[in-house]
Amino acid sequence: MKLALKLLIRDWRGGELTLLLAALIIAVGTVTTITLFVDRLQQALLLESASFIAADRVISASRPIETALLARADEYNLQRSATVSFLSMVFSEERAQLAAVKAVDDGYPLRGKLIIADEPFGSGRPTGTGPQPGSVWMESRLFPSLDTRPGASVDVGALTLPIAEVLLKEPDRGGGFDTVAPRVIMHLSDVDGTEIIQPGSRVTYRYLFSGDEDNLKAWAASVRPDLPEDTRLYGVKEGAEEIGEALSKAERFLLLGGLLGVILAGVAIALAANRYAHRHFDHVAILKTLGATPARIDQIYLVIFIGLGLAATLIGAALGLIVQAAVAEVLRPLLPVALPAPTMKPVLLGLTTGMVCLLSFALPPLLTLRNADPVRVIRRDLDTANPSSLVAYGFGGLGTFGLMWWYSQDLRLTVLLFIGGLVAVSILGLLALLLVRSGRQVGLQAGSAWRLAVAGLQRRQLESALQILAFGLALMLLLTLFLVRTSLLSEWRNQIPADAPNHFAMNILPEERGEIRAFLDVAKVTVTPEYPMIRGRITQLNGVAVAELTRTDGGERGAPRLSSTRNLTAAAVLPKDNKILSGAWFSPTSQVSEVSVEAEFAKSNGLKLGDILVFEIEGRALSAEVTSVRSVAWDNLQPNFYLIFSPQMLIDFPSTFMTSFFLDADQKALLSPLLRQFPTMTVLEVDALIEQIRTIVAQVTLAVEFMLVLILMSGAMVLLASIQASLDERMKQFVILRTLGASNQLVRSSLALEFAVLGAFAGLLAALGAELTVYGLEREIFDLDYTPTPWLWALGPILGAGLISVIGMLATRRVLDQSPVAVLRDLA
Amino acid sequence: MIKTNDVCKVVKTSEGALVILEGITLEINQGESVAIVGASGSGKTTLLSLLAGLDSPSEGAIVLGGDQDITVMSEAQRAKLRGEMVGFVFQTFQLLSSLTALENVMLPGELRGDPKAEHNAKKLLDRVGLGHRLQHYPRQLSGGEQQRVAIARAFASNPKILFADEPTGNLDAKTGAKIIDLLFDLNADFGTTLVLVTHDARLASRCERSILIEAGQLVSEVLETSAATA
Repeated sequence: MKLALKLLIRDWRGGELTLLLAALIIAVGTVTTITLFVDRLQQALLLESASFIAADRVISASRPIETALLARADEYNLQRSATVSFLSMVFSEERAQLAAVKAVDDGYPLRGKLIIADEPFGSGRPTGTGPQPGSVWMESRLFPSLDTRPGASVDVGALTLPIAEVLLKEPDRGGGFDTVAPRVIMHLSDVDGTEIIQPGSRVTYRYLFSGDEDNLKAWAASVRPDLPEDTRLYGVKEGAEEIGEALSKAERFLLLGGLLGVILAGVAIALAANRYAHRHFDHVAILKTLGATPARIDQIYLVIFIGLGLAATLIGAALGLIVQAAVAEVLRPLLPVALPAPTMKPVLLGLTTGMVCLLSFALPPLLTLRNADPVRVIRRDLDTANPSSLVAYGFGGLGTFGLMWWYSQDLRLTVLLFIGGLVAVSILGLLALLLVRSGRQVGLQAGSAWRLAVAGLQRRQLESALQILAFGLALMLLLTLFLVRTSLLSEWRNQIPADAPNHFAMNILPEERGEIRAFLDVAKVTVTPEYPMIRGRITQLNGVAVAELTRTDGGERGAPRLSSTRNLTAAAVLPKDNKILSGAWFSPTSQVSEVSVEAEFAKSNGLKLGDILVFEIEGRALSAEVTSVRSVAWDNLQPNFYLIFSPQMLIDFPSTFMTSFFLDADQKALLSPLLRQFPTMTVLEVDALIEQIRTIVAQVTLAVEFMLVLILMSGAMVLLASIQASLDERMKQFVILRTLGASNQLVRSSLALEFAVLGAFAGLLAALGAELTVYGLEREIFDLDYTPTPWLWALGPILGAGLISVIGMLATRRVLDQSPVAVLRDLA
Repeated sequence: MIKTNDVCKVVKTSEGALVILEGITLEINQGESVAIVGASGSGKTTLLSLLAGLDSPSEGAIVLGGDQDITVMSEAQRAKLRGEMVGFVFQTFQLLSSLTALENVMLPGELRGDPKAEHNAKKLLDRVGLGHRLQHYPRQLSGGEQQRVAIARAFASNPKILFADEPTGNLDAKTGAKIIDLLFDLNADFGTTLVLVTHDARLASRCERSILIEAGQLVSEVLETSAATA
């Protein structure tokens, strides 16, 4: 033990451990930094996103939920609040308007703020609570519709209540079209006085909860089984589809990045440990001649391993803490929200990851040292033992698999990725070997520097192929991450373009269409195409009444139901961001009754092409055949529909129209005269929502970019470790060449060319690997559209050649300036 | 002290079995100094590695210290025996590059758990004339100095037998002569049995006896007079 510690310290002093320790520290540091920063960002994102549902979790129900069940949240230290929503006519002295009334208690909102103003469409200020009992707040657009002003009174059911504030934004308003009616907020204690809620009334009860995430999970698991059939318990991801998808994708990206980081770090550790073991083979042989038994060797290197591991994980974790704190500090002015304090969990995660990496990547090469043959001290040529072995690879594979599983919590995904990875590594390895062999032809016909470079690669065929593989894998992972990141960011940017419509106009009467368009044209406002809109429901499927059908498809609770009353439309052109998955879009000349169905709706209700649906619209029956199934980008903030009829079908029905348009802050004042002139029209403002989504996307983007930088650092470490691993062999070659009289220039150029050829081959493999991986990832995991990247095939080899030769020449620069004797002594 | 009986070493190559040593039977007495000589590739270094228990013979027996048949021992048992009985000096010095001169010499004592390892190592380094270079690393020492450290290390375990493989092979004539003197002086002081492999006639002539190996076979034993009669 004492001797082992002494050897550890002496090795450290002698510089033998520098690379291994650096690889370990960077591995642990990277993982800790990533997990810490991502944890803090995720916490911040969840807090920010939670404002989308005004809580962390919501139970939504059509009937009140028992108090005892709700009180269970208190056992988990959760805050709670309740809201009740219903539609009701609201009356001013002159006019009446249908409004979406929401009654809230004193705790509302648990997350996010309400924004209120003194004047309709005025500038807002945030507030943390709803209206006081005995007053209401009304949305801006209700004021022109009711021809009233703040301070006046309105009748809500049997109560007359003064309008205390103008409501600009409520956190959980969302962008759905079931909430098109203008909002009135009142206090929950006033609801009974309105006498609106009667048996049979359509009322939505929402119970809001917030608190510590672990407590929330435990609480949700406890109450879920006891909830009545028609209730829904959801968090922000299910509750706010506009951002839920972006959040899930970002999480998957960060997870993928973390995984790649760990694998890269593992490769760096394995390479560094292999080099250490290789260099210590002779040391062990000497120790054996001096009387050290194999068990003693194991003992010595285990102590070295543990000492090294402890030092590296502690330094790495501390470094991770410092780096992420520094990054958070630097980014603070850019972050739209304050980051919550880091928790200990990621630090533990980093430490554990570091130890697992060590166990699976560094320990196996060290343990093979016991097999060093003592006869090496006399006959080094007899034994060129390689510290790598099947056992070592097995350990590495097992560790990688374990870490992937642990990180992803998804066995199927892990098995798929792992097997895919193994196949890719085997194929790429084979290709690397072929490339090295084919290089001979080129090399022989070239100048002396080229010939030397290629000969160098040829002499160590297997090592060169392995090195190309290691470089190639590191480059491939970096390119993959870069490509996926670029696709994600561009998808997010495209999701809400700068001039995306931020106002929706609905309930436009057919006779007012022209006038409204003219009004907006005068103000130079661009209006999107209009859609007819009419309420209706499906009554029959293939001749069977819907009421008799049961959902046998296992469709999730909360999935769209067949029988619900829905907004229906007709269109000649496939709406933006919709994609036909099966069947065909209506032909322009179609006179047949056709309907196009959204994919999720079709799946959860078992609809397929050729099904005949009978609708009830305005008391009349209408039959149509399903001729296409569409996917819809629900997060694009455009008018989206589950069911679209062929153009001619709704002509005979008294539908209203909807459209959308973009107004900047200066044009907001147009809304008052517009609504006064067309009082039946409803305008839905989604600019606040868009702003909120942009904020979150900006944060997610930042997290993704940050992850990329960290992974780049890990990748560079792998490249460095890999070059260092082959340095001794290269230096011997250098000494021989120099002794034979080769000029420094020739040695340098041949070395640079050797690195460049290695890099170019690795880059070529990386391009191939990245293209295939990105194809798989974007299609299967990220649900993105894959587009081939031809420039990758040029960039890969150039990037590889440039990167490897620069790092390689930097790593060998010091040695190249020394005399051959000095180099030989260093190698001895 | 060392006894072999019909020792053979055969290795497998791609062209079939290659006999490196065949039918080696010899005996070396306690305190004796013996040179193994022969042309390059004759098998003398292989014989040394077998005698020292660094390698195992394909056939035959090798007994050290009167009763220790190293051919039936495991690697762990042989290592233990080496630590207790045997010291080595190599042509390429074989110092651990990450350790200082002092640390290299301390190593055998430390492996045995000897609390006086450092004290003994300093005394030995003084004895070989390197008392002023204790903290130098091998790369900071000349070839002759490195070999002196190696000799000090070889005697640090107070061995009964010292094996030396071309101890002057990497040194110039003048330095080599000094190293030979040092080796034999220490050998006399410690009363060690010395077995060395060499091409150097001067070195061989300092031994009491020479064993000539040709094409893997022991062809003659030449009794040297210079050392024996000295």
